[in-house]
Amino acid sequence: MSDKIGGWAGKVLRVNLTTNNIWYEPIDKYYDYIGGMGIGYKILWDNHKDNITAIDPDNIIVLSAGPLTGSGVICTGRTTITSRSPVIEKHLIADGHFGGHFSPAMKFAGFDAIAIEGKASSPVWLKIVDDKVTIEPADALWGKGIFDTHAMIAQMMGPNAQVAAIGQAGENLVPLSVIMTQGGHSAGGHGSVMGSKNCKGIGIIGTGSVKIVANNEKMRALDDHILGIIGANNNGVVPSTPQSWAEYSAPISRWKARPGLKWGAADQEIDLGEVPWNERNRIGFRTSMAESYIGVEYANKWMKRTGGCHSCPIRCFCELKVPELKSKYGRKTEHISNVCMGFLVPQYLMGTKNGSEAHAMAGALGAHILDDYGIWCNYGSISHLFKFLKTKDMFKHLLPEDEFNSIPWELWDNQDPAFLLDFYRRVAFKEGEISHLADGLYDVIKRWGLDGTNPALGYWDIHKESATKVFNKKTNAAVHHASETAGQVGTLINVVFNRDAQCHSHINIVNSGLPHDMTVAIAEKKWGEGAFDKVKWYTPINAAKVRFAKWSLVKNVLHDSLTLCNWMFPLLASPDKNRNYEGDSTIESQMFSLVTGIETTETELDFKAERVLHLHRALTILQMNESNMREEHDVLSDWVYDLDPDKNFGQEGTIKMDRADMQKALDMFYEAFGWDIQTGAPTRATLDKFGLGFVADRLAARGLLPS
Amino acid sequence: MITRRGMLKGSMGVAVGTVYSGTLVSFLTGCGSDSNSQEVVEVMPGGLMVVNPTVCVSCRRCEIACGWNHEGDSSPTLARVKVEKNMNYGPHGVQFDYETQRGECGDKTVVPSTCRHCEVCTEVCPQKAISTNEQTGAKVIDEELCVGCGYCADKCPQQVIKVVRSKMKAVKCDLCNGKPACAQVCPTGAIKFYNWEEAEAALEQYEKYTGLVS
Repeated sequence: MSDKIGGWAGKVLRVNLTTNNIWYEPIDKYYDYIGGMGIGYKILWDNHKDNITAIDPDNIIVLSAGPLTGSGVICTGRTTITSRSPVIEKHLIADGHFGGHFSPAMKFAGFDAIAIEGKASSPVWLKIVDDKVTIEPADALWGKGIFDTHAMIAQMMGPNAQVAAIGQAGENLVPLSVIMTQGGHSAGGHGSVMGSKNCKGIGIIGTGSVKIVANNEKMRALDDHILGIIGANNNGVVPSTPQSWAEYSAPISRWKARPGLKWGAADQEIDLGEVPWNERNRIGFRTSMAESYIGVEYANKWMKRTGGCHSCPIRCFCELKVPELKSKYGRKTEHISNVCMGFLVPQYLMGTKNGSEAHAMAGALGAHILDDYGIWCNYGSISHLFKFLKTKDMFKHLLPEDEFNSIPWELWDNQDPAFLLDFYRRVAFKEGEISHLADGLYDVIKRWGLDGTNPALGYWDIHKESATKVFNKKTNAAVHHASETAGQVGTLINVVFNRDAQCHSHINIVNSGLPHDMTVAIAEKKWGEGAFDKVKWYTPINAAKVRFAKWSLVKNVLHDSLTLCNWMFPLLASPDKNRNYEGDSTIESQMFSLVTGIETTETELDFKAERVLHLHRALTILQMNESNMREEHDVLSDWVYDLDPDKNFGQEGTIKMDRADMQKALDMFYEAFGWDIQTGAPTRATLDKFGLGFVADRLAARGLLPS
Repeated sequence: MITRRGMLKGSMGVAVGTVYSGTLVSFLTGCGSDSNSQEVVEVMPGGLMVVNPTVCVSCRRCEIACGWNHEGDSSPTLARVKVEKNMNYGPHGVQFDYETQRGECGDKTVVPSTCRHCEVCTEVCPQKAISTNEQTGAKVIDEELCVGCGYCADKCPQQVIKVVRSKMKAVKCDLCNGKPACAQVCPTGAIKFYNWEEAEAALEQYEKYTGLVS
């Protein structure tokens, strides 16, 4: 271990907006929790209060970075946001994340995290210029959209300010609201927490540096090693179409670059051509996945370039130039940056088909409206539910007649994206009954009787309906790479967190694009025989699948703590034939060791990450005041088991799970984590093993520790 | 290999290679060429780094690699290539019509700044601490002579020189002794080394993005 420790900036900024008190905590008390998500949950554990809501002034919101953030190591630009979530019953803890350049700036300013509590008496924003932290009046910002808020704060601070802000949705305490930083990077679920504190945003200028212990040669050598292994987004390691340099190809891969695919809106049109894996100075072209969202015709017309986060060469973002945004829909710009759900969510809501102009425009326009108002999609839930209720003509039973008649349904019927202008305005400003679609699902289910209790809806039960994609019956979390992704592996991953599982560790190997038998070989080498089934053709649970699920979760928590992009890492596969297409799961520990100077193995680092996961589980139990997680938390919607009634679990062509098999899977899963097999709650032995004896003491005092 | 030296010297003669006049001088310094149209540029081995804003994807890996190489840390402030300062709102800062200007919050065109190895810093340095490296053509700072007065940083037309307070020395691009780290790590080839024969076209392309969008 080196004399100096690199990576961490050194302190956590604490702000109480009720008292205007600003103070600092040394970061070393959080070393055992790595950073990011670990800092967040440790602060929330230490300051836990029973029965407060997410929008209570006593609720703390933590925006945090990790030791790798800002170091420049590949894909380390992410920010983790932890707090109670207004979207979940009992407002349990959840973490959201955004990329961009915000938390690198926070590190350069000298902070590893910012924790805000209290409530300002009038609108404020937080100004940070290195060690100068002030609470500024935000009267002129209140009511503004996010884009103007970013610009106004940058105008006051300097154009290099990185800003995280809320829009009107957050101000109006819409539960489904985001915090967003420049470049279209948003974190879901906590916009209203900021709004409840009368905090419009945070602006940061950091002129310092992130200290690195290793020398340049070692850093560049690791960088080069990673560049030889990393694929396209979600670690697709083969091109999506056959190419002269590639032994394999697969349409599922997000390595989209190919002859004929263009950055057509670039000032000088670029035909991407083939982008071979070993052309390091062309990596930024390879992902270019706009066609996945808006179809190839409009991708070639509107794509200006790729974009993304600090230090990432992969560039998953699509920077589009869409003249109609301004000329037809009255937006102030022709440009929109986003990726994935940003484009997909309005398309899901409109029910448009990929390849059509309506589909492309719905994605571009919807993304711009969502980002300006700061509305969150709850991983698509708002769209899936809206579309179902609309197509089943159920809104007439749920909305007052006047309101129902005021909604321009004909626009939706005609697949006119202009419908989104009307709909999202109603949501952001809480106009009418329909705006409750942006409540947490628990609340809207109860309000509208969507749990089989509303006779006007024919006793329709959302938990029996696969189309609305509610995966967890207790938390109402959405499907997020669940049973459709490696069967029980994705399913187990989707039961642990309180919101949708934002885990991509498993998808990053499952969707690498390698031939199935090669993926199986990599999985079996890592976790044992039977770890990875054929697609939609599942075998019963086994120990290898449980190891796969646990490994994926631990890596996910590790990444959200370091912070490192879990949409790319871990890299178990590579595009390098000379490596037999295998990746390297030790990269994270190599990064950590070089940057911090603390020599750490993969096993040692994973241990720290698992500690954070146990803390998350324990805090969930404390907040629920309930230790029986098996029956009160880790419960799947009925449709997960009852899908495809003409097929049995295990037959080819279905992703349905089996109730008995899943209970057995939970047995094995709990055992693997050292959780009580009956309840799924961490045992004292496990908590002690991870240095969390103080957690065990508190749970025991509340009768929440398994006997 | 071709480079340039001795520009802004009025009627200096030409030793080898290509002669450039007004246009390149203005590109190199960022100053208008009309007022001094008689200036000529003598070319010698070497060149400079230029960014093509149409393919810059704002990852800042150039800034990062520069910091690693020169400072041993990650530091956009001390990096010799500047992405952060123009990244969100373009070279002119936050304008009322920021949505139509350059930058991540505008038309998505990112316009980083690089050292052009012009002679402004060498001319203003009261310590004569900045000279031309004969192998690379880079203007380099002799830290033994530098006193950190900041004249060079203040007058740099590209604003790519900084004074490191901890050691009271100015820092600037030295072309990494001929192996520019910024170009090595760029994922799109947006930043490249251009010899002086190629520089005019590259700078002409770059300069299209430095003004306000009307």
